[in-house]
Amino acid sequence: MGRLHVLSARGDMQVTWDEKKAAESDPEAIEAIREAKRIFAEERAKGGVAFKVAPGHTTERIDTFDKTAEHIVMVPKVTGGE
Amino acid sequence: MFPPIVLAAVLILALAVAAILWCFLSEPVLRSLKGMASSFRDCIEGKRRAEALLRKLLSEEEYRQLTWRGYLEVRSPSIPNRVYHIPKYRGQVHVYEQGRRVMVLCVQPTEPVPDADVVLMHKLMIEGNEQEYLRVANRLEPTSYRHYL
Repeated sequence: MGRLHVLSARGDMQVTWDEKKAAESDPEAIEAIREAKRIFAEERAKGGVAFKVAPGHTTERIDTFDKTAEHIVMVPKVTGGE
Repeated sequence: MFPPIVLAAVLILALAVAAILWCFLSEPVLRSLKGMASSFRDCIEGKRRAEALLRKLLSEEEYRQLTWRGYLEVRSPSIPNRVYHIPKYRGQVHVYEQGRRVMVLCVQPTEPVPDADVVLMHKLMIEGNEQEYLRVANRLEPTSYRHYL
């Protein structure tokens, strides 16, 4: 199962998908991946940065949606603070 | 029997109390109170979700360190002997090299997010996008800050 987490004031908004089912042409799984891709692109357009994360593995910044990822975390744009 | 002046005073007081109650319980005020309660619930739920995500994405050791020490130590992926101390609650990130504090960084998200999400944001940016993190950060001299981490 893959999971996209978008950080926000209300906690993370999540979209999940099952890559195996999508490979078997399951329409719901394909739709879930399409929705996750759409949100990924929308957040990137707002300046968000995406990271592929798996506990115990190296964090990797990604610029394109990866449906094989276990977790993708989208962080809002950051700026220098005071 | 009470004198008329006392009765009049009681009547005026009762009317004043009724007017105040009416003002407080009028539709806009009730709507505003409901909105505040809803925002408060969202805020609590947001904090709970952020904490759960952080718990899921940190290792046991990292989470224990954050809870007990009040900060999360993240190793620099590109600079040997450099570690970042990310505070549990929002604040500055302290940078150490060979045990000496060399820099204090201020970085914040442009959108408000719960404290646990801020910790995750720092960790991911340092591990996966360190150069950009350092580029946007405001840097402060370590000597001007009290050593608390």
